[in-house]
Amino acid sequence: MTPDIGQVLFCGSFGLVIIGIFGIVLTNHLVRIVLSIALLETGANLLLVMSGYRPGAAAPILVDGTVPASMVDPVPQALVLTAIVIGVAVQAFMMVLVLRVHTAYGTLDIREIRTLLERDITHAAGVPLPVSPDEPLAQPHTVLHRGAQ
Amino acid sequence: MNAPVLMFALPLLTAFLLPVIDRLSGLAGRWIGPLVLVGNLLLGALAWPHLQDAPLVLAMGGFRPPLGIVFYVDRMAMLFAMGVALGVLLLWPAWAQDKDRVRISTLTMVLVTATTGLALSGDLFNLFVCYELAAISSYGLAAAGGSAAAGAATLRYMVISSFGSALMLIGIALVYQATGTLNLAQLAVLSDALAGPQGLIAFIFILLGAGVKAELFPVNAWVPEVYGAAAQRVAGILAGIVSKLALLIIVRLLVLVFRQPEAQQILLVLGVLGVITGELAAWRAQDLTRMLACSSIGQLGVMFVAFSIPGPAGVFAGLAVALHHMLVKPALFLLAERWGGALTRLPGAAQKSPLAAACFVLLALSLVGIPPLPGFWAKFLVVTAALGQGTPAYAGAVAVILAAAVIEASYLARVAAHLYRRVTQPLSANRQTRAAVTVATCASAALVSATLWLAPLGNSLQVTAAQAADRDSYIHNVFPQGVQP
Repeated sequence: MTPDIGQVLFCGSFGLVIIGIFGIVLTNHLVRIVLSIALLETGANLLLVMSGYRPGAAAPILVDGTVPASMVDPVPQALVLTAIVIGVAVQAFMMVLVLRVHTAYGTLDIREIRTLLERDITHAAGVPLPVSPDEPLAQPHTVLHRGAQ
Repeated sequence: MNAPVLMFALPLLTAFLLPVIDRLSGLAGRWIGPLVLVGNLLLGALAWPHLQDAPLVLAMGGFRPPLGIVFYVDRMAMLFAMGVALGVLLLWPAWAQDKDRVRISTLTMVLVTATTGLALSGDLFNLFVCYELAAISSYGLAAAGGSAAAGAATLRYMVISSFGSALMLIGIALVYQATGTLNLAQLAVLSDALAGPQGLIAFIFILLGAGVKAELFPVNAWVPEVYGAAAQRVAGILAGIVSKLALLIIVRLLVLVFRQPEAQQILLVLGVLGVITGELAAWRAQDLTRMLACSSIGQLGVMFVAFSIPGPAGVFAGLAVALHHMLVKPALFLLAERWGGALTRLPGAAQKSPLAAACFVLLALSLVGIPPLPGFWAKFLVVTAALGQGTPAYAGAVAVILAAAVIEASYLARVAAHLYRRVTQPLSANRQTRAAVTVATCASAALVSATLWLAPLGNSLQVTAAQAADRDSYIHNVFPQGVQP
C-alpha cells in the first residue's frame, strides 16, 4: 500500500513539534533551544496549513473569472503567514539577547544563566541568595565562581 | 458608532509615527502617547452609554462576520479596554527613563494596541495576532534598560512564551480542523464539534499558550525573574494589565466555545495550584518586588478558580477580582520602585513618606480582603459562587483561597511592620517619588469611593457579567439574521 500524502505530512508535522518540545526541555544550550523553538513553530505552522488542505484542490486565486471545482482554504494560510513573520522576528530578537547575555555572563548554558540571574537579582535587592534546604552542602558552587570572573 | 475601532487604531498609528514626531518636536514626542491614552479613555466613556442595552458588533471594512473580522464590544470588553488605557497612563514607563523614551513609548503604544485588541476582538485569528503583538512588545519593554539581568530574564521569558505561542497555534489548528472557522460566534454555534477529546486538547493547548501571560501555574516561572529584573513600571503593567487581558481570552473561549466540564475542572485545578505556589513563594520572599510578583501569581490563581465556575456567577466573581487587582497591583508596583529592595531596608520609610505608607497599607488590606474594602467583596463573591456549586472540588478550592488569604495577611503585615518601624536616621532613598505617591493616592481614593458606592457598582458589574456570560445573545448579536452554515 502507498501511504496517503496527507498522513505523511501530518506525521511529519507532529514529529517536528515533538522534536521541538524535546529540544526545549532537554537541552541547556541556548542556541539549541532557539533552534528547537524554530522547529516547534515550523511543526505548528505545517499542522495549521494541513487543516486547510484539500486533496487535488487549486490555490484560492481566480484566474480569468473561472472558478475551479475545489479550492484550498486560504484562512489558515493567512494565519501561517502571520505566524511565520512573528516567529522570524522573535527568533532574531532572541539571538540578539543570546549575544548580549553571552557577553555579560560568558556562558550559553541556561542553567548557569539562571543561577547567575538569581544572584544578580538578589544582589540588587540586597537579600541573601535563597538556599534550598535539600541542596547538598558539600557541592561547591563552581557556577558562581565562573560567572564572577 | 464606530468609535471603539479608533481605540485600537490610534495607538497603533501613534506607535509608528512617534519616532518622527519626536524628531520634529521633543515636547510633542513626550506627550503624544499619554494624550492618545486620554483620548482612548474619552472614546470609551463616550461609547459606554451605547453599550447599556446591546453590545456593538463592528465588522471591519463592512465584510459581514463569518467572512470578515469583527470587534465585539460589550461592557466587559469596554471595561477592560478602558482599564488598559487608564493603567498604562498612570504607569507610563517612558517617564522613568528619559534616555530611551522614544523606543519605550513606541513599545508601550504597541502594547496598548495589542491589549485593546485582545479586549475587543471577536475572532480567534485576531486574538492570536494581538496576543503575539503584546508578547513582542512586552519582551522589548522588559529588556529595556539594558542591564544583563534584564536581558537574561527576558530571554528565559521568551523561551517559555515562544513555547506557549506554538502550543496556542497548534490549539488553533485543532479548532480550525474541527470547525473550519475562527470567528468566535460561529465557533459558539459549532461548539458541539469541539465537545470531544480533540476540543479538550485544543483547549489545553490554548490555555497553556495564553496562560504564559496570565501567569498560569505551570508556565509562570518567568514571573519573579522578569519582575525582579525589569523596571517596576513595566512589571506593574505586565502584572496588572497584560495578565488580565490574556485571562480574558480564556474567559471568552470558556463561555463561548469550550463548554465541557473537563475544561472547567482543568482551569480549577491549575488555579488552585497557582494560589498555593504563588502565596507560599510570596511568603518566603525577602524583598518587596519578588513578594508582589509571587502574590500576583496567587491572585491570578483566584481569578482562574472564579472563572472556572460555570454561569454568570463565576464571571461576575472573576471580573470583580480581576478589576480589583488591576487597580491595586500597579499602584503597589509603583511604590516598589523606591521600596523594592530587601525588607530590611524599609524601616523608617513611613517617616520619610507617610502618605505613601498609609496608601500601601490600605491597598494591602484590600488585597488581603479585609471587610469594608472592595477586595473583601470580590473574594466573598468567589467564595459564595464556588460554594454554590456544592461539589467537593469547589469546597476544597474555597478552603485553599481562605488559607491563602491568611498567608497573604501574614506577609503583607510583615511589610507594614517594617515600613512603620521607627529609626533615628531614615534612609533618604526611601523617600517616594511624587508620581508614585500621586498614583497610590488615586488608587486608594478609588478604592475608598468604590467601598462607599459598592451597591451601584456591584449591580452594574453584575449586568456586565451577565452580558458577557450570555452565549446565545453573543451569537444573536453577531448574526442578527440567523446563522448561515
